[in-house]
Parts: sequence; C-alpha cells; structure tokens
Amino acid sequence: MSGIIDVSRSAPERLTLFQRLYLPEILRGMAVTLRHLLRNLSNPRGMPTILYPERKRDYSGRFRGKHILKTREDGSLKCVACYMCQQACPAECITIVAGEHPKVAYEKYPVVFDIDMLRCVFCGFCVDACPKDAIWMTRDYELAFFSREEAVFGIDKLIERPGLPVKDGYGYRPYYPGDGTNPPRDASAAPVVPGDGDRDVLREKGLPLIERSAGAGPLNAASQAEKSPAAAGGLS
Amino acid sequence: MSAAVEAPAQELEALRERLAASPLAGRARVEDRDLPTFEVGPADWPALARFLRDDPGCRFDLFLDLAGVDNLKRPGSRTRFEAVAHLHSLSRNQHARVRVSLPDAEKPSLPSVEEVWPAANWYEREAYDLFGIEFPGHPNLHRLLCHDAFVGHALRKDYAPGQRWFYEESDLRVPDWARQTDERAGHFETQTLSIGPSHPATHGIIHLLARLDGEKIIRAETIIGYLHRCFEKMAETHHWSQVIPYADRLNYVSAMVNGVGYVRTVEKMLDLEVPPRGQLVRTILSEFTRIVDHAVCIGANLVDIGALTAFVYLYQPRENFYSLMEACCGARLTVSYVRVGGLAIDVPEDFVPRCRGLLDSIPTFLDDVQKLVNNNRIVRDRLQGTGVVTKEQAVAWGLTGPMLRASGVPYDVRRARPYDFYDRFDWDVPIATDGDNFSRYLVRMEEIRQSLKIIRQALDIFPENGPVNSDDWRVVLPPKDAVYHDMESLIYHFKLVMEGIRVPAGERYEWIEGVNGELGFYAVSDGRGGPYRLKVRPPCFPNMAAFEKIVLGGTVSDMIATLGTLNVIAGELDR
Repeated sequence: MSGIIDVSRSAPERLTLFQRLYLPEILRGMAVTLRHLLRNLSNPRGMPTILYPERKRDYSGRFRGKHILKTREDGSLKCVACYMCQQACPAECITIVAGEHPKVAYEKYPVVFDIDMLRCVFCGFCVDACPKDAIWMTRDYELAFFSREEAVFGIDKLIERPGLPVKDGYGYRPYYPGDGTNPPRDASAAPVVPGDGDRDVLREKGLPLIERSAGAGPLNAASQAEKSPAAAGGLS
Repeated sequence: MSAAVEAPAQELEALRERLAASPLAGRARVEDRDLPTFEVGPADWPALARFLRDDPGCRFDLFLDLAGVDNLKRPGSRTRFEAVAHLHSLSRNQHARVRVSLPDAEKPSLPSVEEVWPAANWYEREAYDLFGIEFPGHPNLHRLLCHDAFVGHALRKDYAPGQRWFYEESDLRVPDWARQTDERAGHFETQTLSIGPSHPATHGIIHLLARLDGEKIIRAETIIGYLHRCFEKMAETHHWSQVIPYADRLNYVSAMVNGVGYVRTVEKMLDLEVPPRGQLVRTILSEFTRIVDHAVCIGANLVDIGALTAFVYLYQPRENFYSLMEACCGARLTVSYVRVGGLAIDVPEDFVPRCRGLLDSIPTFLDDVQKLVNNNRIVRDRLQGTGVVTKEQAVAWGLTGPMLRASGVPYDVRRARPYDFYDRFDWDVPIATDGDNFSRYLVRMEEIRQSLKIIRQALDIFPENGPVNSDDWRVVLPPKDAVYHDMESLIYHFKLVMEGIRVPAGERYEWIEGVNGELGFYAVSDGRGGPYRLKVRPPCFPNMAAFEKIVLGGTVSDMIATLGTLNVIAGELDR
C-alpha cells in the first residue's frame, strides 16, 4: 500500500515561450522519430510490422483457430456424438446428428457434425467439453467465404486426414507433449468383447442386439430428427 | 483496508441507528446481506435517497447502478418488479444497496431520483426501456438501449428472446429542441448537427445530436444503443460459465479485466477461493490489459487531434502483449482465459521471463510518447482547458476511474477495497486537479507506470509451481486425464457441461477496478445452472451520460478531443 500522487504538475502547466514557438518542439519530436527510423533501417528484422501474407506471425501451440475432428488409427472419427460440445458452445454454432455405428465397439458416431464458422467465437469451450479427445483446434485462421452456406463446415472439411499434416500445425487441445497428461485409450485398441463385430453379422447369427428408436437421443434429438429425418434414424 | 471490510456488523448497526433516528423510521429498514441493504416502498424512495446522500452518517454520494429485476419466474413472497440501486460513500468508503419493491405488476412505477443523483438519469431510462418501469419526474424518459421502434420490454421474463423489430431512419426520435429554429434578434440562426453514428471520430457507433451557435455547442444529446447485443438477456439463457466469452466482448479492449470481474462475482456466490498462483496470473494479465487499454485510449485520442506517431509507438507494446496473451490462452483480443474457479489452462513455462521482457520494453515507448506530446503546443491547445469536469460534477454524475481521479477524487477500487493481492503491493493512486482532457491524459500515463510497478511486484512473489485452479470439481472441470480414464471424474465433467455450475440462490454485487472505472456485476441466482438476472455496471456508461453536459459551451473540435479522453467502448456501453 502506498499513497496518492498528484500528477497535474508532472508536466509544466504553461509552456515556455521557446516551447510555444512550436518549431523547436517539432524538431525535438522529429529527433525521436528519426531515431526509430534509423533503428529500423539498421535492423529490418526487428521491425514490429509483418509483411502479411508473404510472412506470417508464429502462433503458439495454444492458438484457437479452425477446428479439426480427430480420427482413430483406422480413420474413423473419434467423436461419439455425445452432444457435450454442442451443449457447451456459448455461440450455439455446433450441430450434431447422431447415428448408430456399424461397429459395436464404437456404438455411436456423428452422421452430421456442422460448425457454423460465422457464429463461432473461437472460445475453445468445445475442446474443453469433449470427453473423448475428438475435437482439437488448429492454427489455421485464414477463413474467408463467399456465402453463408459455405461457412458451415461439415465433417468433410473438419475431419483430420490420416497421413496428411495439419495446415499450420495444431492449436488449442486438451493435452500437450510433455505436460504429463495422457491421451485417452483408443477404442480400436480396447479389448474386444466376445461377439464384437459388425452389427449385420450379429443379426445374421441371431444374437441379441439392442435396437434404438429413431430420435431417442439426449436433449435436442427431436429437433435434430426434424432437421434431418433420414440421418436421425442412424444406419441400422 | 476500509472499516467496512473490517467491521461490517458495526457499520450496519450504525446505519440502522441513523435510519431509526430519521423521519423515515418504520418506513424503511436496513438488512445484512453481502452489502447493507435498505428496503423501502416506492413512495418513500426519494426521501430515502435524500437521507442517504445528505445524512452525515451515510453520505452515499456516488450513485453506481440501478438494476431492474423481474421476479415472474422466481416464486416467493416478492413483488413482480424490483428496482435495485447500488451506492457508494466516498468519505466513508462503503457500498450499499437499496431495494425498492414495486407493488404494481401491471404498470410498475417509481419516482425518479434524478434530482438527488443526476447520475440516475440514464440508469432510469435503461430500466424504463428494458423493464417498462415508469419514472414520474424524469426529465427525458425515453428508450435508451433499444431503438424507438422496439415493442415490449426486453428483460421482462415473459418477453421471448429472438424477436425482431425493424428500425427505419424515420423512426429516430428527434427531440423537440433539435427541430425548432431559434431566431434571436441580432444573432444568426443556430443549427442542429448530427454527428455519427458512423463517424471516424466516434470510435464505435455513437450518435450525438448537437445544437450549434456558430461553432459552439449550446445543447447536445447522445443517442446510444447502436451496438446493443442483449448481453443481459443472453446471460439469462446460458450457463454461468458460458457467459465468460460474452463478458469478454463487453469491453473488448480489456477483455481480461471483464472476465475477471465476472468470474469473481460467481466465485463469491459460491464462496470459492482461487489458488494464489491463479490470482496472480489474473492480476498480472489484468494490469497488462489496463496498460494496453490506456495506451489505446491515449493513442486514439491523439490520432483524433492529428498526432499519428504517438499512436504507432503505443501500439507496439500492445502487439507484444497480445502475443504473450496468445501464448497463454490461444487468442489475442477476446481471450476467454478465466474460468469460474481459476483459469482455462496454466501459463506457459516461459511466462515470467516473457513478462519481465515486456515490462522492460514498455517505459521506452512511454518516454518517446511523452517527449512527442507533453510540450507540444498543438496538443496543449487542444487538450488543456477543454472538457473540464469539476470534482463536484464528477461525483454527481457518478463518474469513476481515471475520469474521477483526473478531477481530484482518489477513488480506486484496488485501494478502497483491495482484492486479490493488491493490498500487498506498493503503488500510488495518481490524481490530477484540473479535470480537463490534459489531466486525464496525465493520469492515464501515470497509471500505466503504476501498473508496471504492480506487475513487477506480482512477478516477484509469483510462485513457480502450484495449481491455478480450485480443485472443487462441482465448479471446475476435472483434469482431462482423469476424465478420460476415471468414471467419477467423467460424471462431474458431464454434469458441469450439461447442467452448468449450481450457484446457490441469492444475489451479489461484486466490483473491481475496471480500466475505465468501477466494473460491477450484480448477479441474481435462483439455484439453476445459469444466472437468473445479470446486470453489468459498465464503467463508461456514466462517462457517456455526462458527455452531453461536458461538451456544452465548447466547440465541435473540443467535443472530439473530449470523446477521446472519456474512453467510451461501445460494446460495454450498449451491452
């Protein structure tokens, strides 16, 4: 704790005649700008401006840019359509329609996963909310569109292409190399329960299989079914 | 530390005795809540207002906020509408609340206290606009945030969000004085000039109607609301934690401070403590944000009066700070870094050295700007003696922050009611006595230097290790590692995301020193996962309300210089 200081006299209340002449003060100011000019000329790399788009700023591994949907080793989406990101999104820009995955071990997957990039505020709440490590963000921030429809990114634009490097690198994500946290176990590497396999095979063999009714999902399933009746029933 | 913090019970007892000795005894009472809370009926409100302002044991001279509350969906013994005012006593350093229950649910009405506190003017217009509360005796009771073609009152609980009311130019309410032609003998005709809403010097969308006599402004009225984005209505339809990105976008130049102010309110309602490391990160980044906001304000103000170079120099540390911010949380401007109970993610390993590097670079730029500006004759002619606010005016108009301090009142929340670690730092509150635009420039410059001092001390006591988040998993998301592999954590995670944080029912007003003044959040919870009512006290709101009075008698060019030093951010003003 300390006191109070009066700054009204930190600059002289009235200028001297010399200062009121204006020109000497201008010259003093130009000396300051000239110093900056010479410093920048002698060290162009130290200049604060960036010649975008030829050169780009280096962003950290926490940058919150375009989203990416992570995939398992076999190329399928890690997302299990649990609606957590959709619920957590403050801008309500995520639309998910869930379907039943043909592979029993995966159970559920998103038939539709849309992010409206015009609504998105890039807060990263979806990454925080995901319990399956299925959505990350990248350092790709160059998002420009010609129409509103184009700005709604579906799975085709969001999915991580197996084998292809991510443009500009990964951004905000639940864990970073070397910070002591572990990724979730991959379902494809999980122990296979007896009878695991394609649903069709199970049906052929007459083994019990729980069939789900169309649209019986959490929260907004009814509105989703209305939006996309074909997809809401899943693949069964 | 103030007496109010040390001995709230004694303070309350003293207020109770003063009230019992006054003519209002029996008609008003004071209760012990988070703040001393006066309860009164609408008819006695002006009398209580006078008592609270003038009684030597009260002296609540600063009118801070007036919030309407609609209790339609909050069953209980309350009346449907309430008006909740927050006051501060500068001499006694105490906050207080007044709750007026409005018995008439159809046509709620409350006498205006604009005569007691001129600051109440815009707050009452706002309550009229959003809740339909009438204020008999108000000099200019018109809509403020919503436009004039709007139907209904947006913050009433029975108003469905998502309705649209289209606005055409002909709907603009032009006051009578702006229509009349004033012809006096021997005097040429005065004319009305409309400045804004889209004008390069208004920094955002602000509309000023001015009546000019030659180049002198003889009457003015500010029209705001062009950037109204229904922050408070949106908060009511979202979870507590989902409001954080919205709060960032109130004053987007100082997003971090807004976030801290908001989550502190929720944390106080939950009675939750953030670990010291988390508090210090918040303090350090908030103070950097204050520096950046002041730099933007000073820079933009100088651009308005024709000095571009200083602006560019002040933007360099801003760029560097935004890079630091991006390394911490992944975004430069709208950071969404704070969470209820801590932060989104711990700071990077090189946080302290990067902060120190930034600290060392900033004074050079400040020196350069002071060399360019302080003794420059044009700057002096434009800023000195223009936009003068006297001490009495500043208090009456409810100004806080640099505006109030430049008029000679040393009120700073960080000093008056220290939060986090502010009572452990050695720093000074800069004040000036002239109250003109140049004083405000000097105060902001000095505040930047004081903030540097605070950051340096915060870095000295910054713990190397330790948690930044509270470990209460009913509030903070459990670590991802546990969520992936542990059922219990997954359940907590799921409940938090799907249902939101369960905040106990009640109300709270929590305030911090925002960049432009006191930033307050008045939150009401009914126990659900989201706010029942959230009212922001935006620090630049009273500044803008006073603008039309400050500019009187000055020229149009003085008006531009004054608008720059008010540091009005339209996102916060219009919400």
